[in-house]
Amino acid sequence: MFKFARVLAMAMFCVAVCGQAWAADIKIGLMCPLTGKWASEGLEMKNIVSLLVDETNARGGINGNKVQLVIEDDAGDPRTAALAAQKLASAGVVAAIGTYGSAVTEASQNIFDESEIVQIGTGSTSVRLTEKGMPLFFRTCPRDDAQGKSAANAIARGNFKKIALLHDNSSYAKGLADQTGQALEKAGIPVIFFDALTPGERDYTAILTKLKAADPDLVFYTGYYPETGMLLRQKKEMAWPVPMMGGDASNHQDLVKTAGKDAAAGYFFISPPLPQDLDSAEAAHFLESYKKAYSSTPVSIWGIMAGDAYKAIEAALAAGQTDSQKMGAWLKGMKDLPVLSGSLGFDAKGDRVGEFYRVYKVNKDGVFELQPAQVAQ
Amino acid sequence: MEQFLQQLLNGLAVGGIYALVALGYTMVYGVLKLINFAHGDLFTIGAYFGFTLLVSWNLSGLLPPVVAVLAVFIMVSLLVAIIGWVLERAAYRPLRNAGRLSAVVSALGASIFFENAIMLIYGARVYVYPDFLRPEFTISLWGMQVPAMRMLIIVASIALMLALWAFIQRTRMGAAIRAVAIDPGAAVLMGVNVDRVISIVFLIGPGLGGAAGLMVGIYYGQIDFLMGWTYGLKAFTAAILGGIGNIPGAMLGGFLLGVTEALAAGYIAMAWKDAVAFLVLILILIIRPTGILGERTADKL
Repeated sequence: MFKFARVLAMAMFCVAVCGQAWAADIKIGLMCPLTGKWASEGLEMKNIVSLLVDETNARGGINGNKVQLVIEDDAGDPRTAALAAQKLASAGVVAAIGTYGSAVTEASQNIFDESEIVQIGTGSTSVRLTEKGMPLFFRTCPRDDAQGKSAANAIARGNFKKIALLHDNSSYAKGLADQTGQALEKAGIPVIFFDALTPGERDYTAILTKLKAADPDLVFYTGYYPETGMLLRQKKEMAWPVPMMGGDASNHQDLVKTAGKDAAAGYFFISPPLPQDLDSAEAAHFLESYKKAYSSTPVSIWGIMAGDAYKAIEAALAAGQTDSQKMGAWLKGMKDLPVLSGSLGFDAKGDRVGEFYRVYKVNKDGVFELQPAQVAQ
Repeated sequence: MEQFLQQLLNGLAVGGIYALVALGYTMVYGVLKLINFAHGDLFTIGAYFGFTLLVSWNLSGLLPPVVAVLAVFIMVSLLVAIIGWVLERAAYRPLRNAGRLSAVVSALGASIFFENAIMLIYGARVYVYPDFLRPEFTISLWGMQVPAMRMLIIVASIALMLALWAFIQRTRMGAAIRAVAIDPGAAVLMGVNVDRVISIVFLIGPGLGGAAGLMVGIYYGQIDFLMGWTYGLKAFTAAILGGIGNIPGAMLGGFLLGVTEALAAGYIAMAWKDAVAFLVLILILIIRPTGILGERTADKL
């Protein structure tokens, strides 16, 4: 009896070890918040990456190897994230995707770095994450300071010459106004007005009257949609036709309701594109299969960012880069990979290159229309 | 010069609303020597009730816009007046003899209660009034384009204030209110029903505040549950500026504060407009501690 058990145990051990050796699956890790306050974003990341992995395997895998996705929940919490990263590292993943939230990503960075695993962040915009000089860390989302540059590019493309910058003294809006101002200065476009309004008020006519006296040819208000709506409406009542633009804090339909369709028409803002507005061939194909698999469309852009990260890893593996150091070096040289949100490349720090923000314009029916993509500058 | 006139007009429209809300503070202070901190929230309630009546009950769809707006003005004023009356019964009357500090704390509590009640009932998001309620045409005035609605707000607030002034000065109830303001003890001896006078004051003040909330809702379009805080603070300042307890003072204070803010934003710095407005308040209070029109302490209201 005892003997039989020993033989059985040995046989099982052999099957386990040999089984692993034969399958030669490539393991890719995904770390995302499946519970906690960001669970909906995390679930979308999981759905999107699983779908893409299934597609890869249906095509016969990468260079004949099946891809196996290892998913760990980080709960949107730095401590859980550290554990999740350790689990992924001991599961033997070649690369890890994730995660959402800069502080959560930061808690996992050192673990992946020490285990020499390529990590691609999906929703971690804090500037310092790529300023640490970690050779294997990348991200598919933009940095917090990217929006100001994109805004300045949009202004330059629109051929505006006298810019008025207006913010609401919140750290987000003031930061965006400051960064835009610096980028405009570099581009040689004069900022003729820079001031703040008090958010939460109802009447901004005094401010608009003063702005009008400065005679800008574009007003860029970097704050949130309630004040933007009020500014647009009161500007129209003053019969002042100057164009106005905003940042991604104005991406809300209540803006049109507050301003009225007539006053909102022509207003434009820069924002990450919404998933259903993505217009690349990759995205169209992807959205179709997503709908088939989950009978809904993804609502947040962060899930798409996870899909982009998977595409980058897949491309690196397809190019034969299975060693993590080599994969890291290859990704840094990668350019114009077609992914869900457009084209993807990384700079030497591991940040995404190219324009991520897109211009939305309000049409005469009050609908936000995505403007055609511009060539990255 | 055109810019100056434009800013003056901007300030008057804002000031008209401040003045209407300030009347509620000043009337209550006149008879009770109590600062009703919940008054700003009654203003918010007016804006939300107006939204419910016009949009959710679809009065704006059933009636022609002008009739609907007038009907809703009357309904909102009455509803908010009733809430004001209940507020006085529940939060202030039991503390009538308990000292002024207790009543002030009760007022702050009532304010927090109202804010949170609105947030729980309506939610924290912004509501937007339908824009077809607002006349679009503008009047050309000395070369400036002035929206008709702004003129209407200034005219309507002045009309409401004059009506109130006439009520206080010309009617028996007005005389009773003035009597209570001067000396509640002597008024009782003269046969004035003080409780009834206070109830009336708590009907009129909140009614006007609710009407102001509705005006802001219709004209500016956007309401949120904390809007009463900003307006309440400014209106309270206006009441003090003009001399608290004094009705013409509240009107003057409201318009003065609105114009000061507009001019400060236009000529000094936008981000500093509130600071400048409050600096003006401090300077006036240093020169005249009782406010601009607050000198005759025996003749308040």
